[in-house]
Amino acid sequence: MATLGRLDWYDIARTTNWTPKYVQEDELFPPEMSGSMGLPLSAWETYDEPYKQTYPEYVKVQREKDAGAYSVKAALERSKMFENADPGWLSVMKAHYGAIARAEYSASTAEARMVRFGKAPGMRNMATLGMMDEIRHGQIQLYFPHEHCSKDRQFDWAHKAYDTNEWGAIAARHMFDDMMTTRSAVGVALMLTFAFETGFTNMQFLGLAADAAEAGDWTFSNLISSIQTDESRHAQIGGPLVSLLVANGKKAEAQKMVDIAIWRAWKLFSVLTGPIMDYYTPLEHRKQSFKEFMQEWIVTQFERALIDLGLDKPWYWDQFMAEIDTQHHGMHLGVWFWRPTVWWNPAAGVTPEEREWLEEKYPGWNATWGKCWDVITDNLLAGKRELSYPETLPVVCNMCQLPINTTPGPAWKVRDHALDYKGRTYHFCSDGCQWCFEQEPERYAGHLSLIDRFLAGMIQPMNLGGGLQYMGLAPGEIGDDAHNYAWVEKVRAVREKAKAA
Amino acid sequence: MALFPLISNFEEDFVLQLLPVDTENTMDEVAAAAAYHSVGRRVAARPGCIMRVRRQGSEELLPKSLKVSESGLKPMECVEVVWEAPKHGA
Repeated sequence: MATLGRLDWYDIARTTNWTPKYVQEDELFPPEMSGSMGLPLSAWETYDEPYKQTYPEYVKVQREKDAGAYSVKAALERSKMFENADPGWLSVMKAHYGAIARAEYSASTAEARMVRFGKAPGMRNMATLGMMDEIRHGQIQLYFPHEHCSKDRQFDWAHKAYDTNEWGAIAARHMFDDMMTTRSAVGVALMLTFAFETGFTNMQFLGLAADAAEAGDWTFSNLISSIQTDESRHAQIGGPLVSLLVANGKKAEAQKMVDIAIWRAWKLFSVLTGPIMDYYTPLEHRKQSFKEFMQEWIVTQFERALIDLGLDKPWYWDQFMAEIDTQHHGMHLGVWFWRPTVWWNPAAGVTPEEREWLEEKYPGWNATWGKCWDVITDNLLAGKRELSYPETLPVVCNMCQLPINTTPGPAWKVRDHALDYKGRTYHFCSDGCQWCFEQEPERYAGHLSLIDRFLAGMIQPMNLGGGLQYMGLAPGEIGDDAHNYAWVEKVRAVREKAKAA
Repeated sequence: MALFPLISNFEEDFVLQLLPVDTENTMDEVAAAAAYHSVGRRVAARPGCIMRVRRQGSEELLPKSLKVSESGLKPMECVEVVWEAPKHGA
């Protein structure tokens, strides 16, 4: 029997809206779950997306992808990658898996919201595949690091991080919950699939895959490239929705959600992706700087996508562009200085040749961030390691949940953006984070940052030990310098050589 | 006497830090407490200079002997701790 070509039947099979007889439309698709903005079903039925994948095709392709990723892993299991890799590279993997793996599972529930409550049949269809993608991403990114758990307990945080009150985990949960688990179908489509996945996952999954390949970690490179092929498909859910909303007079609503999501995603990437690209990845394996990746993927490509779909650049774009140059350096310095509070070992990345690279990529680095690192380096050279550890907590932002920081040195401009709301003072790192809060204060007002919890007496005893216990960091998991301070000796050698010359 | 949390923003440092002080502490003592967490850790010492406290956004330095309890500072208010060069001929 001859089978019809896909395009001969695809639209009919996907047209799954009906007229409900036993319930009202708003009972079938509650507006708070659908995010329908009062648009009629006829408007939603104009939604279309470019991939038009069928279920049999999906299963076939996904099976091949999994077979590819798992066979590369199996083939390289005896390659001693773990034993031979630079410790900085192992930290890249630990940070990535802990922040991402369980968030992927969470993303499957977000996709499921679109599957159930999306009023556009085409969205429901594509999100069904997206939901299965995210389950795959959760499983595969838990399975791959598991082989390292017996050698290094920090790899256990691939699974553990999301269940803890470790500060980075709080920050990741706060952001992902905001854009994935607590939004309507339309909210998820705009914030997760359009803003986050079209804009940012390329950075993490393609940028990092390039660095992984350079570092010789083919298993990781192959894994995250495989994931990105799914992301680039289901990320297409959001784009057509933007066009639909703009065409139906809902541009302002779409713009606001996209703007919140881009800002929030940026902050998380500045602490996760920035340091691993510019400091942890060994110098000889760095494909591009974080800023160069950001400029290629976000500025050039994503900005164009925004405009093409009828949206504007977010109001904070100039501030965002300025932060691409600076924010992740502070996040890195903070993570390294407060290193006992993370589940990986941050690589300092400030040997003389690395500083030369930083100065080349970020002119002025030595006169700003470099000044702080000078003090740290001098302490370590003088055997005063205790001064390279913190004795208090950084104040974290009530939106991004990350330390409030910016460029140090003569231009010194870190400021507390304080806002009083219903008798409580909230502290923000930036105009962008404060603006996110002001768009819907009740959404965020009840959350306590790590500092709020500390001041409320929820962390006992009120010292570093109590803090680490609260964050779930056990001995063997607590972070320290990735290279066990070997880089300090490189600095000493260079200085002694200069003195002798 | 009571524990009083402030936010320390130390000149030329990169991050805001939690600064637990006492209501009876003077501004000189607040500056010293803030310096403990910044100077010699990420900010180089400036021999000869003294450190002064001001409210965020204000140019006016709070008197050196002013107590926290007399200052009008609110819990978790951000104070800036800045270097003051020695006055010539003083």
